[in-house]
Amino acid sequence: MIPDHNPQDITRVLFDNFPLWMLVTFYLVAFGAIGVFLYGVWAQIRKYRRGTRSGAWSPFFPRFGTMFARVLDHKTIKRRARAAGAAHQFIFYGFTVLFIGTSIITLDHDITGPITGLHFWHGAFYLFFSLAMDLAGLSLIGGLIYMMYRRGWMKLPRLDYTRPDRSPDEPDYDRSGYRREDWAFLWALILIGVTGYLLEAVRLVWLQNDPAVWDYRWWSPVGALLAHLMKGIGIVPEGAADIRMVLWWTHGILALTFIALVPFTKVKHIFTAMGSLMARDPEAKRRMPTADVEAEKIGFSLLTDFSDKFLVNVDACTKCGRCHEACPANASGYPLSPRDLVLSLRELANDKLSHASMPEGPIEVIGTEVNMIRPETLWSCRTCAACVEICPVGIEHLPMIVQMRRALIEDGNFDTMLQPTLKSLQKSGNSLGENKRKRPRWTQKLDFEIKDARTEPVDVLWYVGDYASFDPRSQKVTITFARILKAAGINFGILYEDEQTAGNDVRRIGEEGLFQALAEANIELLNSCQFKTIVTTDPHTFNTIRNEYPEFGGNYAIEHASSMLERLIREGSIPQPANLDYRVTFHDPCHLGRINGCTEAPRQVLQSMGVDLVELGRTRDNSFCCGAGGGRIWLPDPPELKKPAELRAAEAAEIPGLDVLVVNCPKCLNMLEDGVKGTGNEGNFRVLELTELLAEAMGLDGAQQKGLDEAPETAAVSA
Amino acid sequence: MKILVPVKQIASLDDQFEMRDDGRDVDEDYLEKDLNEFDHFSVEEALLIKEAAGDGVEVVVAIIGDDDSDDALRTALAKGADRGIRVWDDSLAEADGTSVARILAKVVEREKPDMVFTGAQSSDFGSATTGMALAGLLGWPHAAVVSNLEYKPGASSAKLRRELEGGLEEIMTIRCPAVLSIQLGINQPRYASLRGIKQAKQKPVDELSLDDLGLGASDVEPAFHVRKMYAPERGKAELITGSAAEQAARLAQIIKEIRGM
Repeated sequence: MIPDHNPQDITRVLFDNFPLWMLVTFYLVAFGAIGVFLYGVWAQIRKYRRGTRSGAWSPFFPRFGTMFARVLDHKTIKRRARAAGAAHQFIFYGFTVLFIGTSIITLDHDITGPITGLHFWHGAFYLFFSLAMDLAGLSLIGGLIYMMYRRGWMKLPRLDYTRPDRSPDEPDYDRSGYRREDWAFLWALILIGVTGYLLEAVRLVWLQNDPAVWDYRWWSPVGALLAHLMKGIGIVPEGAADIRMVLWWTHGILALTFIALVPFTKVKHIFTAMGSLMARDPEAKRRMPTADVEAEKIGFSLLTDFSDKFLVNVDACTKCGRCHEACPANASGYPLSPRDLVLSLRELANDKLSHASMPEGPIEVIGTEVNMIRPETLWSCRTCAACVEICPVGIEHLPMIVQMRRALIEDGNFDTMLQPTLKSLQKSGNSLGENKRKRPRWTQKLDFEIKDARTEPVDVLWYVGDYASFDPRSQKVTITFARILKAAGINFGILYEDEQTAGNDVRRIGEEGLFQALAEANIELLNSCQFKTIVTTDPHTFNTIRNEYPEFGGNYAIEHASSMLERLIREGSIPQPANLDYRVTFHDPCHLGRINGCTEAPRQVLQSMGVDLVELGRTRDNSFCCGAGGGRIWLPDPPELKKPAELRAAEAAEIPGLDVLVVNCPKCLNMLEDGVKGTGNEGNFRVLELTELLAEAMGLDGAQQKGLDEAPETAAVSA
Repeated sequence: MKILVPVKQIASLDDQFEMRDDGRDVDEDYLEKDLNEFDHFSVEEALLIKEAAGDGVEVVVAIIGDDDSDDALRTALAKGADRGIRVWDDSLAEADGTSVARILAKVVEREKPDMVFTGAQSSDFGSATTGMALAGLLGWPHAAVVSNLEYKPGASSAKLRRELEGGLEEIMTIRCPAVLSIQLGINQPRYASLRGIKQAKQKPVDELSLDDLGLGASDVEPAFHVRKMYAPERGKAELITGSAAEQAARLAQIIKEIRGM
């Protein structure tokens, strides 16, 4: 490899030809830059520590390991953006190698060399180093060029800074500062990379007569290529020496400025994204934060109520816009974009918590002033967790929103339409304003008795849920499910009038005290019953019993109806259903698919009926919420806005020859039937529950449902 | 400066229910208890005055009821009332509006409030007598069905608007202290979160007996006695469709059926 030279001579010149003042100046600038960097890091940490302590970074090592793996494999960045993820990976690995390489020079020249006399940056090691740095530069610049193309020419809606939560004439509407920062960041890195290459080339030209340099030029291939080009246009060694001095300083000042600015600019995401990923709570989309309802205050109304973790979260955002694109509220024109919520909180924190001393008095977060979060923004959320799911840096928008809603509820700051619902929940344990006694009334339409799980042991305790018990359309599904269970020979029972809503929406609307009271009452009731497993047709109930009740001492085996039906078909308790000649599509309920990962069971049930399943554009973890979640089903949608369900129905309508839009949740059924009507698709395809389709394939339809179809007429007469 | 707000715990009914064995009331099992709808508004009105004045206004809620009625009292306290008074004696089981007014008159004597706000009526019995009777017993001015109020704490008079029949409204000035019966819609009552209701347990509640107020059972004898309560038979309605001749024929048929022809 190095035939004719002493390996000690194969290295790179650093400060050759530098007068002393230049050398001193360089070290002053370098230490200055590092000083500014360290101050910035300290100031940021001080800002985060002005929040409450979350303890989210412990246990340290397992969390660090998971974060480290995510950083290396870029899995979260590649999701739903493969090209951007790959480009980022090129930038990341390029930058990391260049950073390590530069650190090695510092180590050799300023640390091990002067202190121990050990120099290792020469010979074969230097040549490999040189090659690695050259390739890393290509990787970095290639990735950056793609990102520029993406930001500048692809015109992606997710990279659009249009805000749904402010009008353009408001002082905090403008996000062009971020746009400029995005571009400055890309250009700064590109310039550092390009000047690095040019510097390398010009050094080769300058030292072309030194065989210890020139003979090994192809170990830095990009530099060598550029050097030949420079020679070709007539640059001589003396001229190259002058250019080298200019380029050396340009490259050096650029790189040092970049380092100094890390903590103050978008560049800090290198650290904050790692901190945020490390603190990530895998349960964040399923389980809302626990709260002491006896405490002096509940929820987040002040900036200082936010934890250090959430303050790091909002600083980790790189405005990739995936949440902005996935959010059903934003898509329907509601004043909420998870991205803008995060950026407002970030700016508020930068404004109020970054200074040497804290501002006097409480720092309100919810309000109409600059960078405050508006109540209508918080009420727009459907808690579908699409934002939490897709955020590549682990920002947890949903728990922040729920915490702020808790403060609003406590303060009585909410739509007056919600008050009767909450009062009904307090009094009767259901959200529909119905008397407790009415809850099991749907069972009167069956031609058999359902066991009372309160008084006799059953195998399966069916937790029916609010909408499934009271909503006339959902009742049909409930009755159908009862008949399927009966036909499959399941020993099941219900809780009759003692069942209350499980509280999923109550918790997400922010009424934590009521949620905990409901959870405690339901758990006490469940614990007094004898059963093996719980089943429910409602994904909201499923989520809350499965993921939120354990915190209150309720640990149960629970299945969603779709998983149970899939199992019963597989085990043969339900005979092989007949083939249905339908073209169908399946709408994944948020709380079943994205939030609990149950995406395959309903599809297998569909498969067993031989239907032609055509997937929607957005499925499984990327399903698009029907708009009902988080208590939004209790709040009226303003007529001038599109409903999320209408957008979803329009998406389904794009499937040619669609017969049935299959849903698997009482609330989705309610919302999407309206959505289909609202988009004029009523005659084009039907909305059916998975259960109903299965009953049809099992030949269970119509006949035995005594009096069901007459029900509306009876009601009309008595009214 | 003090505002006294007497409230009531009312019973609401499911659409399917059974009568008590003695036929004088609905079976307790079919009743859901709640704070009287009108009292949400009278409590809110007092709280708005308290909040507008800053310090120095005390809102006291009073209820005549057994342990059960603590829920209603606590709901009012959770909204922001400062303290509560609960008066009970088993002889009050059948108390009517006048007996309640007699007790409240003693509570007013004890508390010396500057204003008394009652709900316009109770949403279960709807007699609308308590406020009026109380004003009579105290010799204070009274205004019923108040739908708007301008009152500064400590002022010697208040300006108010009342709803009259036929869509008319009356604007009047009333000498204070006074008893006002507050109508629905005068304000937007706030929500009492369940957490707030639980925490309201820590607010002081004076539990008083008739003795404490210098009353005997004979002072609170109800003026009336329920003899029977029953659900009247429902009338029938039918939508007659078809051509004019068909409709006429059906109508004639119904008339014949009713007349037994």
